[in-house]
Amino acid sequence: MIAPLMVSQGVGLLLAVILGIFFGLFLERGGLGNPHKLTGVFYLTDFAVPKVMFTAIIVAASGLYLLSDLKLLDMSRIWIVPTYFWPQIAGGAIFGLGFLISGYCPGTAVAGLASGRLDALVVMTGIGAGSLVFAISYPYIEGFYSSTPMGGITLPELFGLNHWIVLGFVYALAAGMFYLMERYEKRPLKKI
Amino acid sequence: MVKNHFWSPYVAGLGLGLTLLATIYIVGWGLGASSAFSLVTGVGINKLNPAYAKNLEYFSQYLDIKAPLINWVLFEVGGLFLGALAGALLGGNFKVRFDKARDMKSSTRLFTAFGGGILIGFSSRLARGCTSGVALSGGAQLALSGWIFGL
Repeated sequence: MIAPLMVSQGVGLLLAVILGIFFGLFLERGGLGNPHKLTGVFYLTDFAVPKVMFTAIIVAASGLYLLSDLKLLDMSRIWIVPTYFWPQIAGGAIFGLGFLISGYCPGTAVAGLASGRLDALVVMTGIGAGSLVFAISYPYIEGFYSSTPMGGITLPELFGLNHWIVLGFVYALAAGMFYLMERYEKRPLKKI
Repeated sequence: MVKNHFWSPYVAGLGLGLTLLATIYIVGWGLGASSAFSLVTGVGINKLNPAYAKNLEYFSQYLDIKAPLINWVLFEVGGLFLGALAGALLGGNFKVRFDKARDMKSSTRLFTAFGGGILIGFSSRLARGCTSGVALSGGAQLALSGWIFGL
């Protein structure tokens, strides 16, 4: 059978909880519920967060395109987050700032709260408030929000390259980053 | 037990990647988180002041459906909490605390946590997702959206 599999709503929700449990388990065990791991990236002392993220992206991307090549997965039926170029550039920049200031992103805040961190609960309240701010300002920024739409486009489509070539670049980028991060972490630590 | 005794990030990343792969393979979309916050906020505002909520066009995507809380991402985030709780308990890493930088005052931390949260909540709506939905899931699909967000 060709995936994505069609499941009923009830089964889908059960799977949501089960997949969510694994998601949370690996986030927490990777240290991503710990805000010091995040600030460690900016102080160049602890690179656990990008290591987890990049490893996950490589594993999932390789699996997806392999399954697609084997005709086990129909990529055209997968929901791909549509690209809106400038809103996502701006959103990514503001997000990075919030990430750095708070020490969490939405998913890791939930993981942080689950490990007993009350500051994560404050961040979660803030995220809710920020969503409300967005909803209130939506009529004024709707034009920008919907600007530069490019659809659910992927990098292989954009550059007209085979996906394994793009993946090759991703592997090389990851290998270079992992190498530099390991070297940096091994240098003698100064007390901050 | 030793506090903060985490797994190797490569092992955790492998597990996370396989979870993401399974999610896309089975249900046809990736993992998310931020939309659950927006959804709960929209529903909460609607409970407190339905007339005001009706004015907020952006929230109508949640309020126009019959049972907005029967939502895939919300259930997934519920699972995320349980999984992270299990991980923290197993790793001896569970401790009720107010986490902050060593020399930071608690009032400052309250401010950075809430203020940072507002920026995150706003920007993840603007970008149509957060680290999980756009950067992680989109990144794995080699979607352009994921890679420009990550930049």
